[in-house]
Amino acid sequence: MSDESMNSKLVNKAADDEQDLRILRALETAPRTEIPADFAARVASRLPAGRRPVSLTPTHYGQNAVFLGMILTFVVLIALTVHNGRHAAFGLAESLLLTQFVVLTVWVSVRRYSV
Amino acid sequence: MDTDLTFEQLVRDHQAMVFRTLLRLTGSREHVDDLAQDVFLRLYRALPSFRGESLITTYLYRIAVNVAQDEWKRRRRDDRAHVSLSDETSAWEERLAHPDRNAEQQLEEREFQQTVEEQLQLLSQIERTILILYHQEERSYEQISYALGMPIGTVRTHLHRGRKKLREAIQQRQTKERRTECQTNQ
Repeated sequence: MSDESMNSKLVNKAADDEQDLRILRALETAPRTEIPADFAARVASRLPAGRRPVSLTPTHYGQNAVFLGMILTFVVLIALTVHNGRHAAFGLAESLLLTQFVVLTVWVSVRRYSV
Repeated sequence: MDTDLTFEQLVRDHQAMVFRTLLRLTGSREHVDDLAQDVFLRLYRALPSFRGESLITTYLYRIAVNVAQDEWKRRRRDDRAHVSLSDETSAWEERLAHPDRNAEQQLEEREFQQTVEEQLQLLSQIERTILILYHQEERSYEQISYALGMPIGTVRTHLHRGRKKLREAIQQRQTKERRTECQTNQ
């Protein structure tokens, strides 16, 4: 490849990069907004009468139930291990509970709150 | 978040974000006030089922995108041309004004911003939404995925495709403008 064509390629690449930067800058520039001073009050006035304060406190009932379930499964697993050997059904139950415990642990650790 | 607050306060805290997102998503200043009101009223109605699994801002983006989609549908029905952001006020002028730049550079930047804005409105709704949420609102892939209800991989694909289309469209337009300029100079 000649020096000239390589130089021209480099120049083109620099121009493309510069163009990309300009586009990104333009995209990142948010438009100017004109919000009426009484906007929030107007929205609030359109709400049904007798409204309560808004609660944004996450309840996480489901998450708590999963943790409780994991603890229970773990306790039962230990109990089954202690009684292991008496009956074949114990072994099967133990395997099922272990699988359930592992699945719950993976699900809880993968699941993200506050996206 | 462990606070109880009045809805009015919540609106005040998030109104700027809702306005600028709707403004760019719809590409028009017309009705933005009404659309923003719609967003907050929908949020109010949805609050009892808000389980706190996402941030309230992410939840608001989701509602804002839905409201913008309804607006696009309404426009399609009415078959009305959109009003450019620059029609009513020179929205970009003050933001781009920089004491170190000369007037010519500022004018050029303003024109470029306007071109980007116009080409952005020509993209598909989904590509435009993702570009705005990612670049303007600086949302993560995960948050965009939640707001739009689509897998993260799809968000990435649309973002990449949207950027590429935008770049190509701008290049095409610039080439065309240069050609026209040359012809008029000859």
